[in-house]
Amino acid sequence: MSDSTTAKHVPSSLARMTLLDRDLTRPVTDRPPIRLLPWLNVVKIGGRSIMDRGREAILPLVDELRRALPEHRMLILTGAGIRARHVYSVGLDLGLPTGALASLAAKEAGQNGHLLAALLANDCVAYIEHPTIANQLAIHLAASRAVVGSAFPPYHHHEFPPEVGRIPPHRADTGAFLIADEIGALRLTIVEDVDGLYTADPNNPGGVRPEFIAEITASELADQRGTLPVDRTLLEVMEDAKHLDHIQIVNGLVPGNVLRALRGEHVGTIIHSA
Amino acid sequence: MVNEMTELEALLMERSLTDEELLRATDTAPDYRILPDATVVKIGGQSVIDRGRAAVYPLVEEIVAARKDHQMLIGTGAGTRARHLYSIAADLGLPTGVLTQIGSSVAGQNAAMLGHLLAKYGISTVEGAGLSAVPLYLSEVRAVIFGGMPPYQMWMRVPAEGLIPPYRTDAGCYLMAETFGCKAMIYVKDEDGLYTANPKTKPDAEFIPRITVSEMKALDLHDAVIEFPVLDLLQSARLVRSVQIINGLKPGNLTRALAGEHVGTIISAD
Repeated sequence: MSDSTTAKHVPSSLARMTLLDRDLTRPVTDRPPIRLLPWLNVVKIGGRSIMDRGREAILPLVDELRRALPEHRMLILTGAGIRARHVYSVGLDLGLPTGALASLAAKEAGQNGHLLAALLANDCVAYIEHPTIANQLAIHLAASRAVVGSAFPPYHHHEFPPEVGRIPPHRADTGAFLIADEIGALRLTIVEDVDGLYTADPNNPGGVRPEFIAEITASELADQRGTLPVDRTLLEVMEDAKHLDHIQIVNGLVPGNVLRALRGEHVGTIIHSA
Repeated sequence: MVNEMTELEALLMERSLTDEELLRATDTAPDYRILPDATVVKIGGQSVIDRGRAAVYPLVEEIVAARKDHQMLIGTGAGTRARHLYSIAADLGLPTGVLTQIGSSVAGQNAAMLGHLLAKYGISTVEGAGLSAVPLYLSEVRAVIFGGMPPYQMWMRVPAEGLIPPYRTDAGCYLMAETFGCKAMIYVKDEDGLYTANPKTKPDAEFIPRITVSEMKALDLHDAVIEFPVLDLLQSARLVRSVQIINGLKPGNLTRALAGEHVGTIISAD
């Protein structure tokens, strides 16, 4: 060790250590985190499942969200749909890395958010960007009952290289969970175009008759082979959740479902964090 | 190739993004390196910048001289002030996302200090570690400085235990290198590289010049010289499959590492 110079340390219980040894950091950082916004309802609206369907799916849902405003304070987050698939396809053809695809797909989710926010503007609901969600959510929700944002997390050029392939692993479901859990929200509702989870893909005809799953744990779901209606990384981050002990997937095409889910009723599939 | 892309296009339009066939098909797409001539250099916070003039001035001289031959993306660590902030914030029970944001600010202070020293050479500090004007800086002055924390803010993945952000400046700098397809990733610290234990607390620890990710995991080093989650990122990476950790307190080490010499510990994906 060549200690020709000495560091100027600020005294603290973590000073001088690498922060990598859990035995050293545990006594300092083992306090459970507080909930910053314990009354917040986070609602993630599917890109492909809802927004890409256009007017027919969006307008009834907007109406339902409008009716929810007096009762709930909401962070409404939109996912990415078919345009993200297109940008992945063009981007991969150009040889772009996962980190570039992540930034591009996040824009698509933001575009969907702008559409939704415009429809709710008359109710004082606006689209806000990631830094505003991170730093000024409380003040925005003091001015309005709800705000709209992009569900994609701001991983952008710092997206992880996936284990297989090139598709960015932290997408809209994962982003919605990460912010809802860190902020200590009341609950997260994921709005899709199916009633919830099935034992087989309900949109894939020809297979065995799928059975509806009312409740499941994230780890049970992660063990299932084949395609899933939620991002795999969501299940990974759910296992480390600090606050949210479950999320609910609901069918946003069925009138009244979102309102009922916002009140905590069981109308779709509940995925338990652990 | 034409067929493969058409097939991939069809899969992307029709299948779930959790479909394994789709994910495997994306593996066949070509790789384009965005900044293939640049090397990402991470200057340690606690290990280098917190030491002040004695450690930083010689490195500044080395950076200025090295840019004749090398393009550098220079990321900064956070260091002792971040530890102070983390200890107060964690004791208040503030969530990992808040710790991430204040940690970013400390890494940004270190970037600003380095930026002041390099300003007269035309080397600028950039906010936010995106691409933006970085290619222009690299082609004109051959180096640029940024705070090393990844931009995850309130979306930082939480650790399984505790509250300290698991992906800090080692991960942030590494992901810049991987995403931009850079030539190399060099960590400038205050140790010669990796040891069998933390050499600051265990003086009999042995130096390890070269190691793979799985060998390093098998050793189960709790207190290693690099953030552990970087190992998983490295293992999944496509373009930057190894990193080197060097002792920046020894003059000439950075210049030699930039030239591709092995002067510290090289950690490689399997």
